[in-house]
Amino acid sequence: MSEPTSSSPVAVPQQARRIGFRLHRGDHLFVRILIAVLLSMLCAGALVAVSGHDPVAAFVALVTGAVGSPHQIGAAFNRTTPYLLAGGGVAMCFRAGIINIGAEGQIAVGGMGTAAVALVWFDDLSAVSTVAALLGGAGAGALWAGLAAAIHLGRRVHEVLATLLLNFVALLLVQQVLAGPLGEFGAGFLQSPLLPRASWLPRISPFNAHVGFLIAVVAAALLSFTLWRTRFGFALRVAGHSRPAAAYAGFSLPLLTWSVMVLAGAVAGLAGGIEVLGLHRRLIEGFSLGFGFKAVTVALLGALEPLAIVPAALFVGLLEAGSLSMQRQIGVPSALVVVIEGLTMLFVLAATVRRL
Amino acid sequence: MPELLEMRGVIRSFGTLRANDGIDLDVRGGQILGLLGENGSGKSTLMNVLFGMLPPDSGKITFRGRELSGHRPRDAIAAGIAMIHQHFMLVDAMTVVENVMLGWPAAGRVLRGTETADRIHQVSRRFGLDLDPFARVGDLPLGRKQRVEILKAILREADLLILDEPTSNLAPSEVADLLKILRSLRTEGKGIIFISHKLPEVLELCDEIVVLRDGRVTGRMPAAGASRARLAEMMVGRDVTAPHELSPRIPGEVRLAVRNITVPGLSGLSFEIRGGEILGVAGVDGNGQIELAEALTGLRRATNGSILLDAVDVTHAPVAARVRAGMAYMPADRSSTALVRNMSVAENLMLRDSDRSPYVRGVVLARLPLAAKARELMMEYDIRAPGPGVIVARLSGGNQQKIVIARELDRAPAVLVAHQAAWGLDPGATRFVLDRVIALRNAGAAVLYISSELEEVLAISDRIAVMADGCFAGLVSRADADRRQIGLWMSGRAA
Repeated sequence: MSEPTSSSPVAVPQQARRIGFRLHRGDHLFVRILIAVLLSMLCAGALVAVSGHDPVAAFVALVTGAVGSPHQIGAAFNRTTPYLLAGGGVAMCFRAGIINIGAEGQIAVGGMGTAAVALVWFDDLSAVSTVAALLGGAGAGALWAGLAAAIHLGRRVHEVLATLLLNFVALLLVQQVLAGPLGEFGAGFLQSPLLPRASWLPRISPFNAHVGFLIAVVAAALLSFTLWRTRFGFALRVAGHSRPAAAYAGFSLPLLTWSVMVLAGAVAGLAGGIEVLGLHRRLIEGFSLGFGFKAVTVALLGALEPLAIVPAALFVGLLEAGSLSMQRQIGVPSALVVVIEGLTMLFVLAATVRRL
Repeated sequence: MPELLEMRGVIRSFGTLRANDGIDLDVRGGQILGLLGENGSGKSTLMNVLFGMLPPDSGKITFRGRELSGHRPRDAIAAGIAMIHQHFMLVDAMTVVENVMLGWPAAGRVLRGTETADRIHQVSRRFGLDLDPFARVGDLPLGRKQRVEILKAILREADLLILDEPTSNLAPSEVADLLKILRSLRTEGKGIIFISHKLPEVLELCDEIVVLRDGRVTGRMPAAGASRARLAEMMVGRDVTAPHELSPRIPGEVRLAVRNITVPGLSGLSFEIRGGEILGVAGVDGNGQIELAEALTGLRRATNGSILLDAVDVTHAPVAARVRAGMAYMPADRSSTALVRNMSVAENLMLRDSDRSPYVRGVVLARLPLAAKARELMMEYDIRAPGPGVIVARLSGGNQQKIVIARELDRAPAVLVAHQAAWGLDPGATRFVLDRVIALRNAGAAVLYISSELEEVLAISDRIAVMADGCFAGLVSRADADRRQIGLWMSGRAA
């Protein structure tokens, strides 16, 4: 044991500034992520130039498209919301060493739960229907994630497999429900009837964004508090670093797995509910397509730190909101934004992956 | 014999700390040089500089009359230096021959297995390595794996072998064999640098001894005429080899009663430990020690038998309940069980106590009281870290183990299960750990002290049990302990 330790008292100089108990994930992490993002933007600029457009003009169009008017900012907030919520839940799981990639399905089922509550149990007049419908969504997401946890813990199926495969089941389940009990008759498209007006999310006036974004920010703050300031969060972090240490510390690993999965499922379900009540005001087939995987992107981009996921999710949300106007004005295909997102992920991973 | 290696004025700094502060070191062919020093004294840095893993800030290295500078490990190997690490660089799934040929330019592009096997046979016979070329490395015991590393060094025609803590994982009989092999290498004119914490071995084997402290050479002497106490003093700056005072005590009530405890690897063990008593468990690692420790502390489920702690049945209690009932545990695996290396000192100090004051209020962690408590424990247990927020991985092994001790003893436990508690620690830290364990005994706790270091067990135990094959092969009181008999028990031969 002399080799790693004997040289280490020596490598101490910069640690003294870190008196808090957070962020043990390498030095200058956020600086590195920022550099990675900048590099990916540079590459994107080069791609735009290669495709025969002016990268500066494209960038200006992208930015004005995202934040040019209050309405555009509002649209960006709306896009950000599901990524932020689901990303926070994913981050909690990853912190505990549980690779939950089932946010996609949990969001879908959450939207379904919300729509079901809003359609089945409430008339247009009920004042609490919004809250009840959102709780229905969170509950459905929690159940779906709990199912994955049950399969993982009960049958020892790897959690990646359990969560991933349940995504497909969830999407098909939503389809099935829309073709049956929750479907709108004669719509020609798999969707539910319009939800009762009382259940819609209120909008914030100059932006025309729904309040979901605020809910998501509050949720991120709560998750951050849970992770860093509560005993449960401590247990999650210990388990994430070392499972034997968590067992030695007296934490129950199955219970931890259950709790964090249900928590992540609940916030993902909430994200689905907000999407349904705030944006579409009905349940639509495929409303959440790709959200779950983007949640993983956002969680990693935010270095698994729930509060840092707010700017990470905003980055992706603004990028996507601005991409359409870039396409309209300059003719750069908005698919390029997908490329930028992919590049960003690669750069961020290259900048943050732990050296062996 | 001519000088094989000459290191002159080697300086290497990390930040503001000089890990090597002007070190001179000479090795002749046919000489075994013992390199002693506490963790952090600069031994590993010096060897890494020599082997080309770290460039020195200044200094000159001459090997076989040729100057080495700006070299990399591959150049060092080509020059004839072999480093045998504590953790072997072998592929378990391959045979001895395959491991020998792996990464060896002289093996050629087309591998000639049988030819190499013949050479292995020859070398093996000449140096008493006793290796079957076609054995799978994963099936070999640790001592044999180490010989594969030595074999690789011999076949690659290394003139200088560096062995880093080569005996820490070996059983006593394997240690004796290793020393014999090293002596025969000396006879062949090889130079050897032998790094160890264990003074008796160093005194027995080495021709000359060099002691490092704080990056400087504090002692250099022929092994003949050096004494243990003198060496330890040069390493630590004070004498730490004085025998432990075990004041005679009348044992109190039975605090830990184990009946017929059974888990896979442990067959029906029964014993009792009274308050104020240390039961030492000696034996070669892998004979059920980890199973025993984990069954007692709740990390393994006992399939049969019972455990009474202060007359309360805790056989089926979960880990947290046992901690509350007064069961303290220092696991052998420090890096991933006893400690979370990437978390702070303070968080590691509360690792098993996060459910009680002063660490929590309700479910919320109490940060300021936690930091205050951590500072208090750091003072009391002499944990040397810049602050409670520092990551544990950055501390030396001794300071890491002090965190475990502080956490487990601060609870004033009724029973302590300590497994390899002083393993790999330098003499100063070993002394600290053993003194604390004895203090706990004197305060009336029952201690189960499991170690594969017989010396340690003999030094601090009131009674000594020997584990072999998941059983106690023997159990004697301190007064009746007979080394020969214990050795027989350890080897699994019933007396």
